[in-house]
Amino acid sequence: MTTRPVAAPAPGTASAAPVTALRRHRRRRLLLVLAVLAGLIVALATLALTLGAASLPPGRALLALFGVGDDGDLFIVQRLRLPRLLAALLAGAAFGLAGALFQSTLRNPLASPDILGIATGASVGAVTVMLGLGLTGLAVSAGAFAGASVIALLIWFFAWRQGLHSIRFVLVGVGFAYLASSILAWLLASADQREAASALVWTVGSVADVRGTELAVLGLGLAVLALVVASIARWQAPLGLGDDHARGLGVSTDAARVGSLLAAVALVALATSVVGPLAFVALVAPAIARRLVDDGGAALTVSVATGAALVLAADVVAENGLLGVTAPTGIVTGLVGAPYLLWLLATHEKRARA
Amino acid sequence: MLTSPAAVPTSAAEQVARRTRRRLLACVLALVALAVVVVASLVLGVRDVSLPVVWQALTDPVAGDVDHRVIAGQRVPRALVGLAAGLALGVAGAVIQGVTRNPIADPGLLGLNSGASLAVVCAVWLLGLSAPSQFVWFAFLGAAAAAALVFSIGAGQPVKLALVGATVTALITPMITLVLLRDQQAFNLYRFWAVGSLTGRGLDTLVVVLPFIAVGAVLAAGLAHRLNMLALGDDIARGLGQRVGVTRAVAGLTIVLLAGAATSLAGPIALVGLAVPHAARRLVGTDYRWVLLLSALLGPVMLLGADVIGRLILPHSELEAGVVAAAIGAPVLVAVARGKKVSGV
Repeated sequence: MTTRPVAAPAPGTASAAPVTALRRHRRRRLLLVLAVLAGLIVALATLALTLGAASLPPGRALLALFGVGDDGDLFIVQRLRLPRLLAALLAGAAFGLAGALFQSTLRNPLASPDILGIATGASVGAVTVMLGLGLTGLAVSAGAFAGASVIALLIWFFAWRQGLHSIRFVLVGVGFAYLASSILAWLLASADQREAASALVWTVGSVADVRGTELAVLGLGLAVLALVVASIARWQAPLGLGDDHARGLGVSTDAARVGSLLAAVALVALATSVVGPLAFVALVAPAIARRLVDDGGAALTVSVATGAALVLAADVVAENGLLGVTAPTGIVTGLVGAPYLLWLLATHEKRARA
Repeated sequence: MLTSPAAVPTSAAEQVARRTRRRLLACVLALVALAVVVVASLVLGVRDVSLPVVWQALTDPVAGDVDHRVIAGQRVPRALVGLAAGLALGVAGAVIQGVTRNPIADPGLLGLNSGASLAVVCAVWLLGLSAPSQFVWFAFLGAAAAAALVFSIGAGQPVKLALVGATVTALITPMITLVLLRDQQAFNLYRFWAVGSLTGRGLDTLVVVLPFIAVGAVLAAGLAHRLNMLALGDDIARGLGQRVGVTRAVAGLTIVLLAGAATSLAGPIALVGLAVPHAARRLVGTDYRWVLLLSALLGPVMLLGADVIGRLILPHSELEAGVVAAAIGAPVLVAVARGKKVSGV
């Protein structure tokens, strides 16, 4: 008798040949997807270093990256474009990973920091620091981090009722999003016009003006959180099966969920504090990743790559004025991400009906 | 058996009478609350004016008296705008919740406010409009477009409708921001409009939108009975002879009229339309004839109340009504989301 892979015995008894074949197939697919994404990121990065106010030929841009070329080229590439490129990659990776954690933990493709109000909370924190205290730089980042954390804890506190129900979590998040956005509107209305305009840019999010220290904070924080996520990633796949199955496999569901969500909130707060709330990256990146690899744990890795590629692509579009104006990065991600979410909602219903 | 068969009808009739008394009592209390907030909104503020002076300003104004000028020029228009916008938001919220059978529906939550905002911003940017009374038509247009989009995707599924609304808001926000970044003039007008406030809207805007609110309120009253049937489900409503499509279309028109009018009066105010019908249902039960009536009374109570609180909460300036209303409404949304009804969906 030959068994098809889908009908294989429980994952614990892994000696059966079809399971090994399936695993090998999955690993090959994962490597292929990651290779393609890496190629895409390299191509986009070359574009990002090449295009701009002063456009350099790709060869010269790459040479300047490694310290070869005249002072002008070195300044443009190493001082202006490289930090921006790194900020886009790191922030995209953080948002992608956070979104994947949110979605798999809450088992809801719509759970994202944009809908949950965590992004708006970060904006309220940052704008309070900018307009209320008149500070700039790292203080603004700290304000954003605090704002995002506070609103996440509030949602948590109010959504918790004999466990964490995912729809309740999302709805409570929507409620806090409205509260936060009305506070934000008030902050913008009561400020001086020029200050309000720069605060408005912050609330959209941009990778353009990230300085060295902020970049270092983002990089280090992301590295630490990625390690944390890697250590809890083995809970992700069982959680996706539903609470009962996960419990049956010996996973403490509440602990797993709390750990994943805390990591996700920390990632969002970290990335938002440096580049602002880039709308919908955390929503779209994992959705694309799930289409590429259909597997809980691997989807986390792929989400990191899709997030980085998405933000980089959005920034190339934003910086080079393809919208008719040099726009902050977050506008491009919002204009691409929201229609995608609408499409997701529209087709979700049809699938549910069918 | 202790109760004779003859006693049953009387006790049923008694029950009905008791329920009607309770509902009338709720309405009377709402009227009293309305009177209190109207008086408070005339009397209280940065400059407190005593009640007799207010009365004199209304009946026998003295030209040149500063208090009288404040009352007639600022507080009375503000109270009237609050009454009209509050009524419109309360009734619109009740109609939306009824027609979608959705406890978490509200003009703001469904993206109508952001649609209106986008249309207004584009009008300021492209056509150079600057007076709120000119915004009216664009606010209606934008609210209608957003409503059409949201209902076409999310109709029939309560939780999804709220998510589609939030998504449409999230889609429109970067568009608004894009316009605001290009046009300083638009940004300056918009940021004062977007916070949601009862000040700075003169009686001229009120005169323009009042007919829309009146038509919307009449349509809503006509819908009450149909909403009661619809609450039993589409199939039962159809079985009772209702054309559900017609009900939906009329309700959509009503919502756009009321929410568009409220938004052009007071800016995008979220969560009044959510909280008020819930409070009304608590007091008078699920009969939409009473829910709509009480929502029409409690809407202005909440909005004007928020406005008055906003005047008192900061020592030397004001917190706009929209901010206070959101601060009152968000806990209601959270409470509803925590309730069994929604988490079961």
